[in-house]
Amino acid sequence: MALREVAWRVSARELESSLEEEKGSGDRPVGHVLSPFGARMNRVLIAGTLSPPEPLGREEPPTFWRSRFSDPTGSVAVTAGGFQPRAMAQLRAVSAPRPSIVVGKVHLYRGRDGVATVSVRAEAIRGVAETEERAAVADIVRQTLDRLDLMERLEKEPTVSDDELARSGAPRPWVRAARDSLRRYPNVDRPGFRHELRAAVRRVAGDSGPEVPAAAPPPTVRVTRASPPPPPRTPPTDDERADESVFLDLVDELSDHSVDGYADLKDVLAQIALRGVHSERAEAVLARLEEGGAIEEPIVGKLRRAE
Amino acid sequence: MPDEGAPATVPETRLKALRAGMGPVEVIGRIVTLTPREVTRQSDGSRRRLLSGLMSDGTATVRFTWWDPPSEGVDRGTVLRAAGAEVREFRGRPELTFSWKTKLAPASPVELPTVDTEATPLTPVAELRPSDEGFRTEVRVVRVAARTVSVGEERRVVHEGVVADGSGAIALSAWSDFGLKAGETVRIAGGYARAFRGRPQLVLDERTTVVRIERPELPDPAALLRAPPRPIADVEDEGGGAIVAVEGIVVGLAPPSGLVYRCPTCRRSVVSGVCRLHGSVEGVPDLRARIVLDDGTGSATVAAGRETTESLWGVTLAEVLRRLKELPDPSRISEQMLESLLGRRLRVRGPASRDDFGLTVVPESVEAVEVDLAASAAELARRLGGSA
Repeated sequence: MALREVAWRVSARELESSLEEEKGSGDRPVGHVLSPFGARMNRVLIAGTLSPPEPLGREEPPTFWRSRFSDPTGSVAVTAGGFQPRAMAQLRAVSAPRPSIVVGKVHLYRGRDGVATVSVRAEAIRGVAETEERAAVADIVRQTLDRLDLMERLEKEPTVSDDELARSGAPRPWVRAARDSLRRYPNVDRPGFRHELRAAVRRVAGDSGPEVPAAAPPPTVRVTRASPPPPPRTPPTDDERADESVFLDLVDELSDHSVDGYADLKDVLAQIALRGVHSERAEAVLARLEEGGAIEEPIVGKLRRAE
Repeated sequence: MPDEGAPATVPETRLKALRAGMGPVEVIGRIVTLTPREVTRQSDGSRRRLLSGLMSDGTATVRFTWWDPPSEGVDRGTVLRAAGAEVREFRGRPELTFSWKTKLAPASPVELPTVDTEATPLTPVAELRPSDEGFRTEVRVVRVAARTVSVGEERRVVHEGVVADGSGAIALSAWSDFGLKAGETVRIAGGYARAFRGRPQLVLDERTTVVRIERPELPDPAALLRAPPRPIADVEDEGGGAIVAVEGIVVGLAPPSGLVYRCPTCRRSVVSGVCRLHGSVEGVPDLRARIVLDDGTGSATVAAGRETTESLWGVTLAEVLRRLKELPDPSRISEQMLESLLGRRLRVRGPASRDDFGLTVVPESVEAVEVDLAASAAELARRLGGSA
């Protein structure tokens, strides 16, 4: 039995900057998204402003919703689907932008143009008073600074042992994440990121109002270019990218809930049809994803994320 | 094989020197605990009696199995000499088996090896591990209370509590009354450590000596009970503790949370109207919450009982039962509870243990934490270098 994954306290900016993924192994693989600032995230806790959601797909009534989440450092998509009925109900209850705390799983999707997109699939959402939101932002900034300090120390003393770090108060999971993060993101502007956290501190102090998100959530979440990006053949349209994102989300959900760890192709096609993507288009999406290396079909009719 | 603690003149092997596979041995020891049992043979369904328990000679305590014991019974506290006993190993620890080949006879307590408990090494409580024996500790009694428990057929009084020294705190259970009082400092010799609910526990029995000592430098019990919270990852690494304090944000509820039904006799939860021990029973409604608390380094399950749940949620069991009459959907109850608790910052104190599902804290106190926003903002701005 795997232990419960910790909820990393992160800002939207840190999520936006995360491009690296670690796939789990074994029967029930647990994947992590690695940030440049020392977080090895499966689950996160974020605090900011949640905007009213828009439905994804064409199913009536819709069973997949996406909302824009903003904090003073940036913004990220928060989604909820039929497999998280409570979170979905809570997301749908957002009728106007409001301060919220969201606990959820981080998903990183890399399109075939090499663009990485992070979203948070909500497990639990709660609208909170502004003071509660500010208190949670304070927690997020404090822990982010603690992680940055730890990374700074590791950069200065690469040979310091985990035991010694533990004695000086660094939690072991953080040490591991910080080491991974330094290795995978050797040239990241961490002092610059510190500077960006100032906006969040102003929010804690109450000097700035809640974030007002863009009037309409964009069709896809904000993207960050990975380096080096594979050359795009024909850049996918926004619609195609949205279809791919829905498709991959379905594969993730179905394989999360299946006994063998695979998503059944029939189930995926049935579910995606409910969302208005019909068989021909769905097959085309699958072909693109397989060709792009995002999905593999090691057994006929059984899909999984490519290693 | 070095025969520790046994002069060449005595035939018996000291319990501390027992090793699996050493062949039939002669041992002497006092029966410390005793449980009569019966096993049924698969082949013909006949029953065979046995006694199992612990015996100790002051150098170590080992488990024994006594096949076909005398029908008149054996008393706890009996000193026993066993010649031709088999030594086996179970989970890395030696165990004794007495069979028809073993010659068993009562012996006199004076035949037990003299162990100078005052000469045993002084051990910090943080270093005690289950099955340790032959040590001394100098500790402060943090708290202690008597409780009556059933041990087999017998009713016994056990004094349970927590003791601490500079290295940490450990749970204590004393099976004799040493008149322990919270706050006093004592030297304990001749006790042993065992695992209880996944945590080391210091056990005192009739062989243990307790001496009052003056050790003002030992930690103040009030300070121990007020100690600042620690990272959950660290507490988890240590496998829990006799008293721990953690602080985090509620990120979820683990099942079963909400309304539960309990057996009226034993308080165990009743599933489908059946108690594990007492069969079909009329379950008594109760309220509980298994709160998942997360501090960013790790997560712990806080097993809150009715009182804590009611005060955190602000809804009483009576109110829950009223709501259920209006809308008979128990899942709504745990949802409403989560909606009220999610994102709240709590500081929790109590004993904590770790198992395959992670860290569980049984809360003795739960406080909501108020964050001073102005002070937090100033501190964070300072850390970012200058004004934000």
